Amino acid sequence: MSLRFTKLALGAAMAGLFSGSLLASDLVITFDDLNPDKKAAYEAAVEAFKAANPDINVVANNGDREAHKDTIRNALQNDAPDVITWYPGNRMGPFVDAGLFTDISDLWASDENLSSNFNAIKPTMTRDGKQWGVPYSYYQWGVYYRADIYEKLGLSEPKNWEELLGNCDALKGAGVTPFTIGTQYLWTAAGVFDYLNLRTNGYEVHNDLTAGKIKYTDDRIRATFAKWEEMLDRCSFVSTHATMDWQAAISPFAKGDAAMYVMGNFSVGQYKDAGLTDEQIDFFQFPEITAGVPRAEEAPADAFFIPANAKNVENAKKFLSFIATPQIQGDWNKAIGQLPPNAAAEINADDKFIVEGMATLSTAAGLAQFYDRDAPAAMAKAGMEGFQKFMLDPSALDEILEGLDKVQAEVY
Amino acid sequence: MFPVPIEKNSAKAQIAYKLALPIALFFWLLPLLAIFMTSIRPVSDIATGNVFGIPSSFQLIQNYSEVFAKTEALQYLINTLLIALPTMVLSVGMACLTGYALAIYKFRWALPLFFLFVAGNFVPFQILMLPVVNISVKLEIMNTVPGLVMFHAAFQLGFCTLFMRNFMKALPFELIESARLEGVGEFQIFWHLVLPLVKPAIAALCVLIFTFIWNDFFWATVLIQEDSSLPITVGVRTLNGEFVQQWHLISAASLLAAMPPVIMFFIMQKHFIAGLTLGATKG
Repeated sequence: MSLRFTKLALGAAMAGLFSGSLLASDLVITFDDLNPDKKAAYEAAVEAFKAANPDINVVANNGDREAHKDTIRNALQNDAPDVITWYPGNRMGPFVDAGLFTDISDLWASDENLSSNFNAIKPTMTRDGKQWGVPYSYYQWGVYYRADIYEKLGLSEPKNWEELLGNCDALKGAGVTPFTIGTQYLWTAAGVFDYLNLRTNGYEVHNDLTAGKIKYTDDRIRATFAKWEEMLDRCSFVSTHATMDWQAAISPFAKGDAAMYVMGNFSVGQYKDAGLTDEQIDFFQFPEITAGVPRAEEAPADAFFIPANAKNVENAKKFLSFIATPQIQGDWNKAIGQLPPNAAAEINADDKFIVEGMATLSTAAGLAQFYDRDAPAAMAKAGMEGFQKFMLDPSALDEILEGLDKVQAEVY
Repeated sequence: MFPVPIEKNSAKAQIAYKLALPIALFFWLLPLLAIFMTSIRPVSDIATGNVFGIPSSFQLIQNYSEVFAKTEALQYLINTLLIALPTMVLSVGMACLTGYALAIYKFRWALPLFFLFVAGNFVPFQILMLPVVNISVKLEIMNTVPGLVMFHAAFQLGFCTLFMRNFMKALPFELIESARLEGVGEFQIFWHLVLPLVKPAIAALCVLIFTFIWNDFFWATVLIQEDSSLPITVGVRTLNGEFVQQWHLISAASLLAAMPPVIMFFIMQKHFIAGLTLGATKG
């Protein structure tokens, strides 16, 4: 009995010792990706931060990505960590407007990295003229194509809409379906819509649409759908697209039955898994439609934010500043095969898609975050259902657009 | 009412039975077979659409060891054990006590109280999600294994009590009466007389509860977010990327997760079947 008491007393003393010296200040981080590669990259960055700041007691949490989307509001209001992951662009809007995120404009102004090397993504992190978060990763979208098929038919990367349609005609003439896509889970169609709209109307109009300021029956949006109809007609998509998810849609691409795919860069590993080599696949930016419209790109980013209820704001800012350094940005994104938003960060020069993506994004006039992140969830769901319906039956356009206007009126 | 043994049927019926059985079995096991085939397939097969055909190469060991290398599958399996075993002990242990009280003691509220336990089984537990989360946040047991065990045990107690009470009710009451006449203490009766007699029921119940809890996905998802205490059913999900689904690894991990209850079933098969029929006919 007495022995047990001694142990207890000793334990209590030890705990007191730790809280007295080492736990001088805390930093609680909430991350949202348990996927092995993503998790390892996050943990490596946290370890590096710990090594650089031995006086800070870091509590690094990690959870499921989908669950995080549901629990974040509760976390921000009740039991806020000091740093939390979320999405920039319009997706951060509700939390910024509700006063749940901390304004870090001062950090953006004073930090040597944030103030100089994040120019391409800065507008995405900005709302009401202030900056709210620090991005740690993003990746490009564009058209992935079968370079070997292009070469065989003597085609070259299209620079504008006419050239793209011309390529499509040639591909169809050779019995190859121009585009593959799998719209079973809808979001793939949104990628096509985003690009058509960004190229037809530009970033401002696209942003106004997803922010609910422009109606879907607006003539400018109708013009986008007119281009899409033209694309459906001359650049056919694989006919079974509604029954496939995006991974299944790689199959016709890998077999050479389809030659192009509007996709994100995360798909490259899958092409290679399907047996395609670096020589067989290549990437081009979605071609220009309306001449003179500044080239905006789709580049979904992931970022860290400081909740308004954070207890250790100074440590949190230290962490965000640390995450913005070229070293961490480079290491993190090399590990997960994505792009560092810090333009000065080192990238994997052996990966031609990463090199091309870096060049594409760091020179873009605007970065969209993808339709389902830019538009509110309810609007995005209705919108993407509408896109798929349109792809299956373009004649239903009026009905679809009017339906979307109704949803828009309810959602915003 | 009872199935006639197949040997007593006509020769024709026996042949038809022997032909039909493997075919039915094949169709019955087809989904499981498909998962197994996917789990030994190289990733290139899935990417090129060879999902149901013969795998181009067999990667049984490679895929299964990759599951352990890429995720903390071992930790997840241990976590599941840490959740399933205490829950089993707790709910079966308490059910022995409640079952004894409800079956042996004659008091006015015995039957209504028993119905209360039974009624608990008919509440779909999904609708209790928010209250349970609120309670566990208030009690600060959210995200902890003991918290999850407590809720599991509470939810399983209704069924366990139903089971144990009916089984104990079927014991000849004279046994207990004569023990009482002999002056044996009440706890002694429970411990030395009733418990040994209901051993088969306890074994059967343990197998059932262990399997239920092992397979639980819902409460583990709701109550545990912390990576290090996730059970295997939820842990399998970590193989799902935001975009890329590694189906060959997910299949392998799913089969690994399903293995222990299957093994448990084969070891305890006798009790399992007894358990399914015992509770049903008594009462």
